[in-house]
Amino acid sequence: MKEKTQVADINRSLYDFRYDEDESSFLDSGITPGIIREISAEKGDPEWMTEFRLHSLEIYNRLKMPDWGPDISGLNMDNIVAYIRPKKGMQSDWNEVPDDIKETFEKLGIPQAERESLAGVGAQYDSELVYHNVRKEVAESGVVYTDLESAMHDERYAEMIRSHFMKLVPPTDHKFAALHGAVWSGGSFVYVPAGVKLEIPLQSYFRLNAKGAGQFEHTLIIVEDNAYLHFIEGCSAPKYYEASLHAGCVELYVGNNSTLRYSTIENWSKNMYNLNTKRATVGEGGKVEWVSGSFGSHVSYLYPMSILNGRGARAEFTGITFAGEGQNLDTGAKIVHNAPETSSYMNTRSISKSGGISTFRSAVTINENAVGSKSAVSCESLMLDSISRSDTIPSMVVKTDKADVGHEARIGRISDEAVFYLMSRGLDENAAKALIVSGFADNVSKELPLEYAVEMNNLINLEMKGSIG
Amino acid sequence: MTKLNILPLPTFARLGVNYTEREVAAFKREEITVPDGAEQQIIKFVSPCSETVVTVGKGAALKLVVIFADKQSCAARLVTTLDDSAKLDLIQLYLGDDTVSEIVTELKGCKAAFTAEIGYDLGAGDKLDINLVANHYGRKSMSEIAVNGVLRDNAQKTFKGTIDFRTGSAGAKGSEKEDVILMNEAVVNKTVPVILCDEEDVEGSHGATIGRIDEKHIYYMQSRGIPEEKIYELITRARLSKIIGKIGDEQAEKRIYTILGWSDDIE
Repeated sequence: MKEKTQVADINRSLYDFRYDEDESSFLDSGITPGIIREISAEKGDPEWMTEFRLHSLEIYNRLKMPDWGPDISGLNMDNIVAYIRPKKGMQSDWNEVPDDIKETFEKLGIPQAERESLAGVGAQYDSELVYHNVRKEVAESGVVYTDLESAMHDERYAEMIRSHFMKLVPPTDHKFAALHGAVWSGGSFVYVPAGVKLEIPLQSYFRLNAKGAGQFEHTLIIVEDNAYLHFIEGCSAPKYYEASLHAGCVELYVGNNSTLRYSTIENWSKNMYNLNTKRATVGEGGKVEWVSGSFGSHVSYLYPMSILNGRGARAEFTGITFAGEGQNLDTGAKIVHNAPETSSYMNTRSISKSGGISTFRSAVTINENAVGSKSAVSCESLMLDSISRSDTIPSMVVKTDKADVGHEARIGRISDEAVFYLMSRGLDENAAKALIVSGFADNVSKELPLEYAVEMNNLINLEMKGSIG
Repeated sequence: MTKLNILPLPTFARLGVNYTEREVAAFKREEITVPDGAEQQIIKFVSPCSETVVTVGKGAALKLVVIFADKQSCAARLVTTLDDSAKLDLIQLYLGDDTVSEIVTELKGCKAAFTAEIGYDLGAGDKLDINLVANHYGRKSMSEIAVNGVLRDNAQKTFKGTIDFRTGSAGAKGSEKEDVILMNEAVVNKTVPVILCDEEDVEGSHGATIGRIDEKHIYYMQSRGIPEEKIYELITRARLSKIIGKIGDEQAEKRIYTILGWSDDIE
């Protein structure tokens, strides 16, 4: 009988603490025009936004649930609370943040990270940003990093928000994009002026504390020409038995010859339906780099999309997905080559264990005008036991002869030969297997910023315990 | 309209690869049974709307050559069930027009083996939609799928290849590879290589290359005095001839070369 490997499930104890919510701060559950108007009034939306929300709701009611991915029938939208009133407005002084919220983020290490390695931090608790701060020298360079609502009400940025908000991900895109358009709340707005290269990252952290609630933050980033930004996004929630919903939206506008690196560690609890939409458009000579770690949630649909609209634009996607017990994580990426001489590279790893289901799904489209474009996709999946499942569903659509597209994928278990080789070099079997699994994830973890690579190691907590299966 | 060539696990609807729709007449059904231990070779020139159901018994082997050469719309379905140590070597050639072809191989038996060599040469107005599914049930079953083709003019082709490792198929191996040469800016190529895995102890891989002929190859041949149009023709012939050469039946090979207009290749 073959020896099996046991990998400890993700250690979530760091994330599973929670504080009781005052339910009087909850709006009624369900998604109705009345609820939408109430959210809009709470937030003091301009008129165009109220209309946008109501129009999105109409689209939401018209569109069907997705019928091609993991089952989401356990998500009852009538039970989801779309908006929770904040206890206090957004602060730029950490000491002014309410104690329980402050303690939450301190446990998650956010203020410490800000002090040590970040140019700015935003922290969202349930529906609203509770803290936003950016270093003085960063602000002086013209970089804007604030919550989206403040920017929308600031006459310097109001028109910019209106002309970019949900233009890349229109509410008609899919049912949960429409839902997002109707109930969005919180999220960050970043503007990097032309020629500014921000060497240290900005970070937003999203925490959903309330049970049976939804989080619908919107992140809008505009990087002008010849600029650089690294933006980090972290997400977590404590575990409840009621379903929660995350239907955020990220829209990235990358200017000519600019680079935007967008790193995410998603660590939602296992009652979360993570139906998130992320999309970038890239100008001439520009580049978007996605680094994505998906560890949490009950069900995920997550496929960051890059639209290469300028000549020579590039996209890179590096991702890792770890699906454990009770998880069905459907992740991947989409890339559209829409200009000549564009290029893209996708490199992903998936691990399935304890009955978890991991699906890699991708779409590379090379349009007629994308002559001279190149794309390469590489995905590898590791099955750690026979009760788990791993699927890969890549697709390539090529509409010009002047393109080169390559794809390779592998799926399998830990190789006996590799274990034997390492054991012949003096490692015991458990250490050999641990090394192989950590090496399997290493291609991706080395792309993460150091503090997130450490968090990823905490998350995976690959305590390899060799046992006879 | 009938939904044909349904992808076993659907993907993004907007790609238009989850199924194809066609007006089809009733399928003409044909059954082929290869008894235990027997070896057989069959060469078929496919007629429109045909369904072939094949059963290959224990330790038996079938070499099945299927040529889609009629210049008319065609929908075809080939379903094969392989018993213990049974083997199917499938060679298929698609030489034009509007074809929808489904190939389902059920590797039910222990050490059942399936190889497929598929080639296509599509030109103006041609459409081809292939949905190949290899379902591995048997322990140590094996599938090896190689697809090679050329798209010219405004040809449109979709190849969906699925290797599905079902529970119990421990020790199974499956691989698929598609290489496509694109020869005109108006072609549309869709490639969807899928691996579904419900069993730990398996090895699956897939790969695809889609694009032009390598510039180094073109340069090499141009430096030997071969004009560019001739280079493309030579490479197309080389790709398809490799598959045609495996048929092992002189008459069938001659007929294919005549259809392709390559009579000078007949010795």
